Amino acid sequence: MAHFLFFLLAIVCIASVLGMIISKNQAYNALFLVLAFACMGGFFALLDAPFIAVVQIIIYAGAIMILFIFVIMMINLREGLPPERKKWTLYFALGIAVVLFVELILTMKSAFSSLKSGGIEKIGSPTDIGRLLFTEYLYPFEITSILIIAALVGAIVLVKKRDKE
Amino acid sequence: MNSFSALIPLLIIVFASLCIMILEAFLKKENKDYLAYISIIFLVVCGFFLVRAWNKDFSYFNGNLFLDNLSLFFSFIFLITTFLVILISMKYISLQGVNCGEYYSLLLLALSGMLIMVSSGDLLVIFLGLEVLSISSYSLAGLRRKDEKSSEAAIKYFLLGCFASAFLVYGIALLYGATYSTDIASIINHFQSGESLGLMALIGLGMFVIGFGFKIAVVPFHMWTPDVYEGAPTPITAFFSVGPKAVGFAVLLRVLYPYLKNVQDSSKAIFLLLCIISVLTMVVGNLIALRQTNLKRILAYSSIAHAGYLLIAILAQDNASLVFYLTVYIFMNIGAFAAVIALGKKDKEYLELEDYAGIGFKYPWIGATFSVFLLSLAGFPPTGGFLAKFYVFSAAVRQDLVPLVIIGVLASLISVFYYLRIIVYMYMKEPSYEVDINIDNPGLFLVLFLCLYGVLQLGIFPGNVLILIKQAVTALL
Repeated sequence: MAHFLFFLLAIVCIASVLGMIISKNQAYNALFLVLAFACMGGFFALLDAPFIAVVQIIIYAGAIMILFIFVIMMINLREGLPPERKKWTLYFALGIAVVLFVELILTMKSAFSSLKSGGIEKIGSPTDIGRLLFTEYLYPFEITSILIIAALVGAIVLVKKRDKE
Repeated sequence: MNSFSALIPLLIIVFASLCIMILEAFLKKENKDYLAYISIIFLVVCGFFLVRAWNKDFSYFNGNLFLDNLSLFFSFIFLITTFLVILISMKYISLQGVNCGEYYSLLLLALSGMLIMVSSGDLLVIFLGLEVLSISSYSLAGLRRKDEKSSEAAIKYFLLGCFASAFLVYGIALLYGATYSTDIASIINHFQSGESLGLMALIGLGMFVIGFGFKIAVVPFHMWTPDVYEGAPTPITAFFSVGPKAVGFAVLLRVLYPYLKNVQDSSKAIFLLLCIISVLTMVVGNLIALRQTNLKRILAYSSIAHAGYLLIAILAQDNASLVFYLTVYIFMNIGAFAAVIALGKKDKEYLELEDYAGIGFKYPWIGATFSVFLLSLAGFPPTGGFLAKFYVFSAAVRQDLVPLVIIGVLASLISVFYYLRIIVYMYMKEPSYEVDINIDNPGLFLVLFLCLYGVLQLGIFPGNVLILIKQAVTALL
């Protein structure tokens, strides 16, 4: 069952990412991306990390996608600019693709060997994450609050209405 | 010693920033200057706590946050920087139509980011601190909203800053993957024990250096600097040219010093990378500065060039001279920017070289102090700039880095040309048009005086400060 689900999710995920790249309509792009994120959430669920799965769906498929869609709506891109094709960027992309492919094969080799050696530990339960956040990572966790207020103030300052001149 | 006292300075600064945000809503428009005084009071209180913590080695959060002497010294320098920047901004923001409340609170948030970065040995915390600093900086750069250049500066800084952060995070992730830790000390230990995965860790460290290379503006990663410095409000430019740079070097010092010292075999690659970056930075920074006519751009390229000299100090593994150079650099650079800010009036700044013709006789104080700062940046005795360069270069000679020193000296010879050109304009050119400025600006003149004092004190009697710095860098050993 798990294997079946895994391959189903994998195929849907790859297909939706491909669809996102190929489709020319920005709204479809965003929706395909949601689908891909949702499949990712499914992978985490298959790995026995239900909390991360839910968070993945809520944050990526929910919050971040809403942001994307808002931006698409507000900028209102009718027609994307025709892509500039340069020879060297093509070769560069090819080179990087080859590197990534080799990397993928190498990681797959080690991933399969670790799969044989035993089951997966159950990770990422809400209790574990909560405990880590409030013990070992308390300081970084608190700093994020400063980070968020800086981002909020900065964003509001830059976009608020100007004073009457 | 595990104590809550370690957290107090940071808490004060964050509290100050929130306070100012709230007060801004209640203060009348005429009374907005009080916000500057309030932030200065908070800075002084924070400084008091920092001084009290000297030699006490407070730490908190399982050692995630510690106040050893080095972080105390750097924190104190950053407080002084912010103090000076607030003083030079007071008149500027009312003249140039920038809103005060968020200005000071963002500045204090940026300061809190810097305090976080220098008082931790954990890469995760350092990264978060850097983001606090950068995100506040992005919006500070865009605060002059009437000006298109300011918005351009903000967006450029934002995009390249994100790019740099991506490098940094990837580097940290690779280091974590290779060494199972984000703590600098255990990463270095892991490097020392020489277990496998060396390549991954090395790439991680390289990316880490590149990420910080953007922040300290060294040459292949400097493209954003002149535009951002030109577009941002000038006091903020003064802040950018010293704050993020100094904090970047503080972190690089913490990571690279133990690494270069203890890890012999694999450190060659990083050493070579830093050498190349340093040479490029000195040569390119100074050469491009020759062709600039906008004062802010000249100072931008000069700050790039100074990053090159500072890298020599890291390569020579002489911490005291690096910290001393940074201290001097803060005074002379903020002083120079203060002089640039002095030449402005309502909704107008004089930034072109032509505007400076005859300034030396018309406004003798501004001309004289500006000349001293420029001479110090160029490295003439008896200013602090001379001693700083002298210490760095002599440390490099002791470490057999003679080629680097030769390039460094040649580069600073080139730099003399464009620094002196400003002085020539101020004293030896006839002004072709009238430049009238608003000289009712006590805060700014206080800064000019303080920076002049700092540059001369560090150049003539550096003894006391050097003793403090020597005590501070023992924290690294």
